[in-house]
Amino acid sequence: MVVSAESLLVSVEGQGTAGDATDEFLRRMLKLPMGDKLLSCIQCGMCSGSCPLGYAMDFTPRKMIAALRAGRVDDLYRSESIWLCVACFNCTYRCPVGVPITDRLIAGLREELLGRGVGVPPELQAAFERTSRYGNPFGESAKKRDAWTKDAGMEVPVLHEGDSAEVLWWVGCFGSYNKRNQKDTVALARILKALDVDFGILGSDERCSGDLRCTSQGEEGLFDVLYQHNAEELAKRKFKEVLVGDPHAYNAFNKEYRRLGTPLDVSHYTQFLAERAADIKRRSKKEITAKVAYHDSCCLGRRNGEYEAPRTLLETVPGVRLVEMPRNRENALCCGGGGGANWLDSYIWQRTRVPLAMQRVQEAAKTGAEILAISCPLEVPRFEDAIKTAGLEGRLQVREISHMLAEAMGLNGGARP
Amino acid sequence: MKIAVVLRQVPDVVEELVISDDGRSLSEDDVMYLTNEADDHALEEALVLKARAGAQVTAVSAGGDEAKEALATAVAKGADEAIHVAVPFEHRGDNARLASVLGPMMKSAGYDLILTGVWAADQMDAGLAGGLATQLSLPYVGGLVSMSLDPNGAHAVVRKEFPGGRLGVLEVSLPAVFGIQSAEQPPRYVPVSKVLAAKKALRVREQGEPPAVAAGVRASKLVKSGSEAKAEMLPGAVPQVAEAIVRILRERGIA
Repeated sequence: MVVSAESLLVSVEGQGTAGDATDEFLRRMLKLPMGDKLLSCIQCGMCSGSCPLGYAMDFTPRKMIAALRAGRVDDLYRSESIWLCVACFNCTYRCPVGVPITDRLIAGLREELLGRGVGVPPELQAAFERTSRYGNPFGESAKKRDAWTKDAGMEVPVLHEGDSAEVLWWVGCFGSYNKRNQKDTVALARILKALDVDFGILGSDERCSGDLRCTSQGEEGLFDVLYQHNAEELAKRKFKEVLVGDPHAYNAFNKEYRRLGTPLDVSHYTQFLAERAADIKRRSKKEITAKVAYHDSCCLGRRNGEYEAPRTLLETVPGVRLVEMPRNRENALCCGGGGGANWLDSYIWQRTRVPLAMQRVQEAAKTGAEILAISCPLEVPRFEDAIKTAGLEGRLQVREISHMLAEAMGLNGGARP
Repeated sequence: MKIAVVLRQVPDVVEELVISDDGRSLSEDDVMYLTNEADDHALEEALVLKARAGAQVTAVSAGGDEAKEALATAVAKGADEAIHVAVPFEHRGDNARLASVLGPMMKSAGYDLILTGVWAADQMDAGLAGGLATQLSLPYVGGLVSMSLDPNGAHAVVRKEFPGGRLGVLEVSLPAVFGIQSAEQPPRYVPVSKVLAAKKALRVREQGEPPAVAAGVRASKLVKSGSEAKAEMLPGAVPQVAEAIVRILRERGIA
């Protein structure tokens, strides 16, 4: 039977120990959707066992909840475990009673520490500051968000206030600014054009969707500001559906934007293109003769249950032989970049010494794959770095699915990709 | 202990800097502001001193409306009071003028410690702190990396980095003006929700600008700096490169 929120609070208060701070924390959690689920924990330890970095945590998720029950939230505020979470969603996915560990427990603890200004790793602070000021975690000018379109070798329509298109393409921060990801962004633009999709982008009015930086990281105020901005900008344009390149934005739109009153018909680009797989296959003449392993991104897979669309697309490419890593689909190992961890690499490395991205590229190489295909832009820089560190250069390549499709369709080359 | 911190708003160089039609200033419409980095460190140092021994910290920001954003952030971080001094766009980089605006206001408030960054990105000189000290007839040291105050507030022990890897420890009687190079810890993060709350509740004391002073320095021209000479790489195999070098030398009458 589920313990009621009130009875837990009363029991905590009754102990007369350090319960005040714990009470305050739990009351805050109870106000959030699914927050009361924190109290349903049966202490089975599934979360801690499935956490890829649990071995390095003094407080694993199960222990965190045990500490809350003992009225000892202050112990958690002093623990570095809070910043080791990479938001891979394994714990929440596995939990038999549905405790929202990633989005409520970890986020709530981080929010508290951010509010106090103590113990927050400086790299993450810097990313927050940049996102708050420029709307992207890189600290690039908001005005230059659509600068990549100049090198696209085609006209990329930018939707201004009052404009309309069938599909609004949300490019995202990595796809817009990161030089390496821009190649894949251009590839997707060319695919959309080749398929006669009526689309447009927000251009310099787009800001970070908020998911990668915020929802599971505790910077709720920053998320709210980004949400307000983006919701207003979206409302100024007419479109039927939203296409996103970044699974984190997909998650934010699918979950948080909907909850906050901006329901969008949103699909990840792999889902959007998978619906057009027959057309793509017909146009794909160039072979990519290689063994390909697909890495399921956490936000698309475990968080949103999409495992097939990326594989369907890879099967349209002539010459591709799809192989699976032992940990695939819902068991996929995280690249280690979610939940703000992309900005915590050195912090996490100092405490774990074995980067998740490195483990993952080694898994991919063991299958004999020559290409590690991905559907999340973060994974490109993360896995490419890991390949260099692991000494797998020349043996394993990281490729965004969009870039492979564009190659097969004969769309790469020219100005950029 | 009363501490004042001056937070200058400087153009953010992440955004493109556009030179206005007069050819000697930046186009105001295109400028995005942010708090001068060293001033941010000055605020952090003030908040460190406050946490250590208790102090009343006053954030003073000079400039347009954007300066109030900086004040809200300062209050969210822990400053007790905010003062806004309106300074017209064209005068914001002029330290002599800034000092003459801020000096009299600070004199009447009776601060024990006035901190600001030792330099600012848009200034014609690095002299605001020195100028303030002159205005107030107070001692000044710049380039500080940390400080401690004696319990009765009579003097401060400050650490200053000298070139060549030498650290000076100096004793300065208070009140004094200090130019901060860096705080002893990185400037703290304050969540957006706290800044927004501080902005809503912000009570800013407005300080008007006194009559203009004749500035000694005047900008006559502002241009994009560019490299005057550029390197050219000669492509090709060794014989072609050698041929190209010979041709260039002949063209220039060197060989």
